[in-house]
Amino acid sequence: MDDQGCPRCKTTKYRNPSLKLMVNVCGHTLCESCVDMLFVRGSGNCVQCDTPLRKSNFRVQLFEDPTVDKEVEIRKKVLKIYNKRDFDFSSLREYNDYLEQVEEIVYNLTNNIEVERTKQIMEAYQRENRDVIQKNKAKLTREQEELEELLLLEQQDNEQRRLETLQEEQRQLQAKRKNKQALLDELERSHVPATILLAQHKDRATQLENQIEKQKQVVKTTIFSTGIPMGQTVLLQPVARIAEVLYSYKPIEINTYGPPVPELEQLGRLGYLNHVRAAQPQDMAGGYTSGLACHRAIQDAFSGLFPPLG
Amino acid sequence: MFYNSSQKKCWTFENEDTLEKLRYEANQKYRNKMLASGKPTVNSLFLDAHEEDVLFRHYEKRLLDFCNAFKPVMPKSVVGTAIMYFRRFYLNNSLMEYHPRTIMLTCAYLSCKVDEFNVSSTQFVGNLVQENASGQERALEQILEYELLLIQQLNFHLVVHNPYRPMEGLLIDLKTRYPLLENPESLRKSADDFLTRASLTDIGLLFPPSQIAMTAIMNSASRAGLSMESYLTECLGLKDNKETLSKMYDAMRRIKSLMKRYELPKPDEVNACKVKLERIHAEFCTNTNMKRKRGYEDDDHVAKEPRMTEEEWTDEDLELDDL
Repeated sequence: MDDQGCPRCKTTKYRNPSLKLMVNVCGHTLCESCVDMLFVRGSGNCVQCDTPLRKSNFRVQLFEDPTVDKEVEIRKKVLKIYNKRDFDFSSLREYNDYLEQVEEIVYNLTNNIEVERTKQIMEAYQRENRDVIQKNKAKLTREQEELEELLLLEQQDNEQRRLETLQEEQRQLQAKRKNKQALLDELERSHVPATILLAQHKDRATQLENQIEKQKQVVKTTIFSTGIPMGQTVLLQPVARIAEVLYSYKPIEINTYGPPVPELEQLGRLGYLNHVRAAQPQDMAGGYTSGLACHRAIQDAFSGLFPPLG
Repeated sequence: MFYNSSQKKCWTFENEDTLEKLRYEANQKYRNKMLASGKPTVNSLFLDAHEEDVLFRHYEKRLLDFCNAFKPVMPKSVVGTAIMYFRRFYLNNSLMEYHPRTIMLTCAYLSCKVDEFNVSSTQFVGNLVQENASGQERALEQILEYELLLIQQLNFHLVVHNPYRPMEGLLIDLKTRYPLLENPESLRKSADDFLTRASLTDIGLLFPPSQIAMTAIMNSASRAGLSMESYLTECLGLKDNKETLSKMYDAMRRIKSLMKRYELPKPDEVNACKVKLERIHAEFCTNTNMKRKRGYEDDDHVAKEPRMTEEEWTDEDLELDDL
């Protein structure tokens, strides 16, 4: 088994599960204890390739292949200098060439090919493009800050939510405890049989559970930030117009089974009111008119007067 | 108004046979109930339809007399409503089951309420002049006991369209549109009599009130030797409507013949039936009565007197001076 291990003390992950392997810029591994021992003074040479190293440059090895770790480290450094972006170039071709160049530098540095020449190229480039590098750096940091701020906000949000649920749980727990306490108190004091009390308690408990359940459900119905509930499909087609039939008024047809009755307003003109008692002023105060009584009498006289035919 | 009333829908019948049939069924229903109750009975003990009719007419007349003697004076429409309640009630119930003596008073009492003739209950029973105070109280108790039953048996149809207002309307119309008739007021007296007599027959259950009122006026006019045919043809527009006109005449004829057929029951017949009725009530009805009573008494405070006193209160106490 080709287990990972420290090349110096030969300890492997299998023998010491808590083994921490470190990598430096050269891409050679050492375990943490060896690093502590060899670099007590802060700097020294790599055990395998004799490259001068600093203790502060040791990183925890993240990848199984230490060269990957080395490449990541180198790439980070190179990109600090080669930090142009696509809109800094006039054509796609130029940008691609530039990316190619970066990759080449990273590859060369990682695999120790023409390290000196590559370094010179990098330095030359750095000298030539100092302004652009500075500017892009500033821009990059600003963007980074914004991103970080966003992340922070999200974290705070999560924290808040966690606290809320915690509080909610606490409250429910308290309610349950209170309920239990109430039962005990009742059992102690009341004269009602225990079975009834127990039944009551059970009732209350189930009620409480239901309440909690309900609250949970309420919380569960999450909605999108647009206000559209989750799981609802949004119809983008325009709503079909429902053609409604307009209400049209039809006068009620009343069959009184009798001759037509003159309208209330016409009674006076037709002379009917000469034959009924005139209304006194005190009657009129309440809204009575002699026409009303007269109209009613005539309506009653004519209603149903004719026998139905057939 | 009459054309959309419960009276037209539920309480106006096709012909006399329908009414006969309903009454016969009520009679049979009671008989069957009593026979099924397992008491030793013979069919001859029960009142038959004719005997029931005799008693019914007797008590109806008594109701009319009671109302006419009522103080303060009862408006005619209240009287008409009371009599109509009485008729409707015994259309579906047997006299043997509910004693007409109580029901007639209940009808009058309820009619006072419905027709807004405001008398207190003590004032009402105060009109039972032959009774002493405790007798009146007992009567009131019975009235209140049967009141709800009555309302239920009337199927909660409490508005009764009497022919009195239609008659007023016709008189107004006559005065306004029919100058050929010189003095329509002169017709009023006999038309009123007509309506009163009509209320003692089944006419109210067979014809709309306006037709009855029209018949009353036409009848009154013909007795005075006046013809009103042109009123129907000219004023009511029946000139070109021969079919309706003939049907109206037909209805009027039927009303008049029904009126003629009415006669007061003979006193000896009435007395014989009364004896029978009292026996039936003594034998059967007390127990059903008692049962109801007992439920009623559960509220205690009502009916503390022993039940036997009910028998003390007989028709004779109620008898009014013959008018």
